[in-house]
Amino acid sequence: MFILGFHFPADMGNKVPDEKVVEKLADVDLSDVNEIKLLMGTKDKDKMWLSYTNKNTFLFKAMVHYFKEENPDRAQKYMIYMNRYQMSELSKRLDAGDDETMALCKNLDTMEQFRIEVA
Amino acid sequence: MAGSASLRQIAFYGKGGIGKSTTSQNTLAAMSHYFGKNIMIVGCDPKADSTRLILHEKAQDTILSLAAEMGTIEDVEMEQARLWGKGLFDRETPGGWINCTESGGPEPGVGCAGRGVITAINFLEEEGAYDEDGLDFVSYDVLGDVVCGGFAMPIREGKAQEIYIVMSGEMMAMYAANNISKGILKYANTGGVRLAGLICNARMTDREYDLALELATRIGTQLIHFVPRNNIVQHAELRRMTVVEYSPYSDQAREYKELARKIVYNDMKIIPTPVSMDELEDLLLEFGLEDEVDESQVGKAAHEA
Repeated sequence: MFILGFHFPADMGNKVPDEKVVEKLADVDLSDVNEIKLLMGTKDKDKMWLSYTNKNTFLFKAMVHYFKEENPDRAQKYMIYMNRYQMSELSKRLDAGDDETMALCKNLDTMEQFRIEVA
Repeated sequence: MAGSASLRQIAFYGKGGIGKSTTSQNTLAAMSHYFGKNIMIVGCDPKADSTRLILHEKAQDTILSLAAEMGTIEDVEMEQARLWGKGLFDRETPGGWINCTESGGPEPGVGCAGRGVITAINFLEEEGAYDEDGLDFVSYDVLGDVVCGGFAMPIREGKAQEIYIVMSGEMMAMYAANNISKGILKYANTGGVRLAGLICNARMTDREYDLALELATRIGTQLIHFVPRNNIVQHAELRRMTVVEYSPYSDQAREYKELARKIVYNDMKIIPTPVSMDELEDLLLEFGLEDEVDESQVGKAAHEA
């Protein structure tokens, strides 16, 4: 089973508890990141930037991890659809009380393409 | 059984027209190019379109057509039936290689596709194709019709052990995925075949990820990857190439690379638990793709309702 790109052994079944995914993100360093910038859309005329700064959420941590993974030059990175949908799915449970995050999840759930940068 | 103990034999199943051959070739290309895997493709569909993107050809000669041309299968040479991939997938190119075979089959409406598949598998086994040095994966691309004799051949012959179902969020694709699970279940108890995951070859319909994920969960498996729709796949196909070769740094190539990585490291292989037709319809209702229909409206045209 693969969640956010992490491999969970088959004996964990096909319903991996959320806390097991959270554990995988325990060592993500957020100290050098203040803002996540997401470029949403495929056609130039419709593209728009979204800013996300809520560092206390699961979603922020998951996005920073995704951005930093195999990206030493910190270049803008395409977001794999599956990872993005899984981030949103988990965030809707783990960050449920946060309106800003829920609004972002709504965007992540669409069919639009996303690219991610951090600042 | 021929082949080394570490050889993995996988198969791609799915509804006709869902994009099995495109998905399988792009994924296998990524497994070979990015992860150095050596692969043999056994096309098990009379259409014989399972290898064209790897070979940069319209269609290769099938084992059955070669046998017909030569008189008997015994007269067919391995070099005629098995071709080495072109470009990135050639044996001489660094990284993994891919070699290609097509079983072929009868003309539409005549004969049994299963015969072609069994003839091809026996031929390849006798000619030592499964014993090729360094072979990591054999991949079967199987025709979509569950009731056709060709459907079960790679499973019945004890070949395909790890099944990936290509589907989408459309009703008939989900119906087919569930039916294929029933087929796998039938053979799982007598052999080693297992379901290894659903691959959503997305049509980009509403809530498609949620729907595919829910079906996978209910069948007892995983949604291993959601492959978004992207025109670059068609652009590459026009040049008879996989996206991995046509544009290796494109977004879509990254998607196939991630799917390839997951297949390479996948250890989730289960006996499926197919759902009933009622459950499938309920699932579509639950995800809002189908309005609940009043029984009195069944069979009425839109202008009558």
